[in-house]
Amino acid sequence: MQSGDLKVQSKLTSITTSKRNRVALSIAALVLLGVVAVALPHYANGFQLFVVTEIAIFSVACLGLTVAIGWSGQTVLAQTGFFGIGAYGTNYLFAHHVPWLISGLVIAAGCALLGLIVGLPAARLKGFYLAIATLAFAELIDQVYNDATPVTGGANGTAVRIVTIFHINPASALWYMSIFLLVASALVVRQFGRTRIGRCLRAVRDADIATSSLGLSSAQWKVIAFMISAVLGSLAGTLYGQALTFLSPDAFSFDLIIEFLVVVFIGGVDRIWGAIIGASFFVLIQEALQSFGFYQRVVFGVTLLLVVRFLPGGIVSIVPTARAFFRNRRDQQLSREPDVARAGAEQA
Amino acid sequence: MTGTHLLEVRGIDVSFGGVHVLRSVDLDADSGFTGLIGPNGAGKTTLFNVISGYVAPKAGTVLLDGVEIQGTSSLSVARSGVARTFQTPKLIGSMTLLDNAMLGIDGRKVEHPFLRAIGAPRTERRLRAEASEMLERFGLGGLLYQSVSSLSLGSQKIVEVARALLRQPRLLLLDEPAAGLSVTDVEALAAPLAEYANAGLAILIVEHDLELVKRLCPEVIVLEFGRVIASGPPHEVTQRPDVVAAYLGDETLASRK
Ligand SMILES: Nc1ncnc2c1ncn2[C@@H]1O[C@H](COP(=O)(O)OP(=O)(O)OP(=O)(O)O)[C@@H](O)[C@H]1O
Ligand SMILES: [Mg+2]
Repeated sequence: MQSGDLKVQSKLTSITTSKRNRVALSIAALVLLGVVAVALPHYANGFQLFVVTEIAIFSVACLGLTVAIGWSGQTVLAQTGFFGIGAYGTNYLFAHHVPWLISGLVIAAGCALLGLIVGLPAARLKGFYLAIATLAFAELIDQVYNDATPVTGGANGTAVRIVTIFHINPASALWYMSIFLLVASALVVRQFGRTRIGRCLRAVRDADIATSSLGLSSAQWKVIAFMISAVLGSLAGTLYGQALTFLSPDAFSFDLIIEFLVVVFIGGVDRIWGAIIGASFFVLIQEALQSFGFYQRVVFGVTLLLVVRFLPGGIVSIVPTARAFFRNRRDQQLSREPDVARAGAEQA
Repeated sequence: MTGTHLLEVRGIDVSFGGVHVLRSVDLDADSGFTGLIGPNGAGKTTLFNVISGYVAPKAGTVLLDGVEIQGTSSLSVARSGVARTFQTPKLIGSMTLLDNAMLGIDGRKVEHPFLRAIGAPRTERRLRAEASEMLERFGLGGLLYQSVSSLSLGSQKIVEVARALLRQPRLLLLDEPAAGLSVTDVEALAAPLAEYANAGLAILIVEHDLELVKRLCPEVIVLEFGRVIASGPPHEVTQRPDVVAAYLGDETLASRK
């Protein structure tokens, strides 16, 4: 028993030290990111700044899908709906003299409520049926963009009232807010992923039958995932409106739903970095192939096929996949070791 | 009779598409082990499914502390203090042992809902310590951060038992916990379970390893073709000719006797 205890002890200590190193490393990375983010508008041209801003915004919307699709395993196709409500809704309130930040937060809270209302019935559906139901919701919202002319400007669209913050030029300000929102959302999602919410959502996804025997309600957790996703979609939409400067229904069309899905699946559907890498890949290719509309689609299609075939975990899984490949032998030795420790512990 | 036992199963009938799987089954369980044995296909797992709310019986009642629970949902049965394991363990393969065990705690009634929801580090750390301790009791302390999919089936079954115990249940249902376990694994499993049973937990156990059943259970119930054919102390029951006959009809058990 003693030798076993010692093993556990030393393992725990080594974990705390490596954890401390990791915390230091994360803080260093955040500081570095902060410096780069602040400096960026001084070195990048307008177009480049727009591209990185768009990447940050898409990443936030896709982080919502990481939670809803990746963790809880629901085929949710409603994200453009919340994205659009974030953009139109915030703009409407802001145009009516509600402070911009408050507008964004009020609309996000509204989307949480809407996520609850849509999520309650949707949580009873699975796979294909859930996909259709959530798609119907997104289509409904699409109708609203077209028909609620006083609010949305209908098919003609509406100009966005641009927010100014401390006299910073709007494009730089938007970049700062977008990168801030991305880092904040990523940290929150990461925290969720490592604690109760993350565990319970994965249980709903992988052990649906067993979850109820644990006293966990699948329906309740699915709705929570849906609401988190809706809030992130809405917040991203609030910023996207500022980036577009003009809102029209085409910006939130059916294509965008598919594009979001492509992003998360290419990047890696249940990882935070997956959403960010996927969004970067998507926005960069889209901008690079702007003038080759058709080839854009071909590149996305082919990439998606390759990823699904060779990297089911998405681009983000390249590192672990490679690591597993190279460490194969060492891993086999390592997995033998604990058995020895246990056998020793049991003998004593 | 009502209210005298923690678990009282009375006259349970279950049929699937006209095939009677359980016929008028009665069973009682109180603190300590109660064994449920019988040949393959006798209906043991189905009876567990009825008790834990996964299958609604055609007739009969299940009383937990005198309260009827049959025909409600598996969720509400679980929340009223029944924990169970499955014949094939249902764990999250991509998660670590510790996280899987934590799910047992996650399903408890939450003391500080907000702190738990955001995964406040203090609370999370305290609960992780509790889950680690439980896994250590079952000899899995060295594997806390391994992913469950890398474990042997035997260890997975033990993790599922630890997870069920972390729910702090009043009644624990174990469906063949020792099947597929090595001799050392059976010991690692049995010792802590016996401690819980001695401390007053009611454990209903389906098990084909008759030696283990004889050792743990003061009382066993024998099911055959969905009927209770015998009950009593294991040493007596397993001597009875009808029980022997039932088992002889079942090759896997006949060879193990
Ligand atoms: N959902 C179901 N639909 C139809 N038949 C079922 C269902 N579940 C169980 N059965 C049948 O009920 C009978 C009893 O099954 P059960 O799994 O309860 O037996 P068991 O005693 O647990 O057997 P084993 O020792 O093999 O685990 C079997 O004949 C089985 O085929
Ligand atoms: Mg069975």
